[in-house]
Amino acid sequence: MSFISELTKGIIKENPIFVIVLGMCPTLATSTSVDNALGMGMAATFVLVCSNIMISLIKNITPDKIRIPIYVVVIAAFVSIVDMSMAAYVPALHKSLGIFIPLIVVNCIILGRAEAFAGKNNMLNSMADGIGMGLGFTLSLTVVASIREILGNGTWLKIHVLPSTYEPMLVAILAPGAFITLGFLMAGMNLLKGRK
Amino acid sequence: MKYYLQLTITLLIFCAVGSGILAFVNAKTAPVIAERKLAESIAAREALMPQADFERHTAKADSTFEYYVAYNKGTKEIKGFTFIASQNGYAAPVKTMVGIDKDMKVTSINVVEQNETPGLGTNSTQPFFTDQFKGKPEAELQVDKDGGKIKALSGATITSRAVTNSIRTGIAVLRKDLETDSNAAKTGAEK
Amino acid sequence: MKDKYIVSPAPHLHDRTSIPMVMWNVVIALVPALIAAVWFWGFRSLLLTLIGAFAAVLTEAAVQRFRKIPVSVADGSAFLTGMLLSFNIHAGAPMWLPAVGAVFAIIVGKQVFGGLGNNPVNPALLGRAFLLASWPTLMTNGWVAAKRGAISGMNDLSLIADSLSTIAPKAHALVTSATPLKVAQTLRDSTWVNSLTSSPDLNHEISQNIFTNLFDPGTLKSLFVGNIGGCIGEVSVFALLLGALYLLWKNIIDWRIPLSYIGTVFVLSFFFGPIKGSSYSIMLPFFHIFSGGLMLGAFFMATDYTTTPITKSGRLIFGIGCGLLTIVIRLVGGYPEGVSYSILFMNVMTPLIDRFTMPRTFGEVKK
Repeated sequence: MSFISELTKGIIKENPIFVIVLGMCPTLATSTSVDNALGMGMAATFVLVCSNIMISLIKNITPDKIRIPIYVVVIAAFVSIVDMSMAAYVPALHKSLGIFIPLIVVNCIILGRAEAFAGKNNMLNSMADGIGMGLGFTLSLTVVASIREILGNGTWLKIHVLPSTYEPMLVAILAPGAFITLGFLMAGMNLLKGRK
Repeated sequence: MKYYLQLTITLLIFCAVGSGILAFVNAKTAPVIAERKLAESIAAREALMPQADFERHTAKADSTFEYYVAYNKGTKEIKGFTFIASQNGYAAPVKTMVGIDKDMKVTSINVVEQNETPGLGTNSTQPFFTDQFKGKPEAELQVDKDGGKIKALSGATITSRAVTNSIRTGIAVLRKDLETDSNAAKTGAEK
Repeated sequence: MKDKYIVSPAPHLHDRTSIPMVMWNVVIALVPALIAAVWFWGFRSLLLTLIGAFAAVLTEAAVQRFRKIPVSVADGSAFLTGMLLSFNIHAGAPMWLPAVGAVFAIIVGKQVFGGLGNNPVNPALLGRAFLLASWPTLMTNGWVAAKRGAISGMNDLSLIADSLSTIAPKAHALVTSATPLKVAQTLRDSTWVNSLTSSPDLNHEISQNIFTNLFDPGTLKSLFVGNIGGCIGEVSVFALLLGALYLLWKNIIDWRIPLSYIGTVFVLSFFFGPIKGSSYSIMLPFFHIFSGGLMLGAFFMATDYTTTPITKSGRLIFGIGCGLLTIVIRLVGGYPEGVSYSILFMNVMTPLIDRFTMPRTFGEVKK
């Protein structure tokens, strides 16, 4: 596969949320508003790219039997480094993204891509995969969050987009709303793919 | 056997390198983060009580309750107090930074930590809720359903109660502490 | 031939009962309650009911078109869902509320799972739960008093020569503006009781006085007739019982679930109903079974064929479970009323109940 196709496959064809159904916990938890979704998406993309590069670099010295614990060590170390350096040197960014960073450790997209892709491919392609998957994750998260924020709060990125007479549908920003929105979006994706 | 030993050692090396890097980064960043946090809490207090110096005290009766006495920067007179009030809301503890003047009236509050229901309890951070605390004495700090002067958020009485009651109990603890230990304030004033 | 039509283990006997006949008969059985609603709140309640029902019918037809399957709205099941949903909304609600709820009930509660017979929970109740989670203030504020009485069924109480409105205005506001179950719930809140007046003895006396008034003959009569505030279809126990008797006579519903449900609420509310300081009374359980949505829920929603157990013992378990949950929610939960959530919860438990109560095939040896 070429570099470009590795880069773009994560957006629709192998979309991590709607198609591979990875990383459900952060999707449900952080899609309450668009700014949260963007924050989570960007933080996860950053860690995903770094860990993909790192893991593809060390794949030749990683014994097959213990690759998973090694991936976990690498990812956890990356996440902690990102967390600490952000807190120290870019506090403004840390304030808005900080709460998502511990969530990234449990984001199975990272470990999933390490296992499924970065452990078997070279560094450049792994980086492309990380960027593509990260973008796909960010985009899908933003779509879910847009629906939930507009319906549940009448706003998009904290800007009022619906008339003030609109009574916000609170369920959309509560946990059940996340499941319902995600379910309908997945059904929509399947419908589109089935019609091709 | 030798193979397994090799695996163990490899993993050990990975872990050691990983923790080594982490230790290094931590040593570099920990002081910077601590400094930043201190500056942030000072800034938060100053937002409530501008132009003041702060001095930390711990309540005699309740060692978990900390409050800050604010002194006027120029005259060194007591200007007021700040403390963090906390009580369980609907989901988790709701923490509120409270500033009160020397007559024990609330000057302003700021809900700093909460995890309440979006759209209902989260409205407790909004100015239309927090602003109604301004100038209220202890006796009026109850939600309207309980006979006080604070209008409870619609659909979030529990959150409103948590904020209101935590502030009221906080003021009560503070008042008692100032009565039993009036030196705290005096010694500060002499400085 | 006692249980004709109702789905049961073999042997199966055929008769002429059909889905449209069952559904439209239930609609007919709900008409007395609708007449009572119009009597108490005027034609607005009829309008809300029709909006809910037709929104449900239109949604069902649209979804069936989209799914390219035969449109089956004439069987009345969507109409019934919409009607039951509107019955769970109070008469002062905005007009769009039943429509939105019905759309959600039909799409998410029914068609997503494959339509009639495949829904895991009662669609009307799911629609109500959705509305309550989405617009809690619209659903629980703005109760409209029935034309002929106070919302709580109690008028101003006189107390120690003075009117309640002068001694404890908050208590007066409660008895004149809250639903009976809300009054009962508020009386359990000791913070509220303590804040009534400065005298603890007087507070105690006021709360006891209001509490005993909840189940004195006058209030119980208001509850029975429906002369109180509440949701459109739930207030008139008398009208609902008329409809229920019709369904029992037509053999459309089984007596087991309503009886075990209402019976459980009756027994439990006798033992656990009294508030602190008041004594047991045989009248209190009548307050609990007459108020809220219990009659509507027990006869018309907990008897839905699809979402309730098919075995006889399973139905008893289902009813008892609903009763237990309702009492738990009413007496210790955060909501004044728990009928809809308890039925929804037991709906989800139905496959499990069926599995444990399935009779052994004749001749099968116990392992």
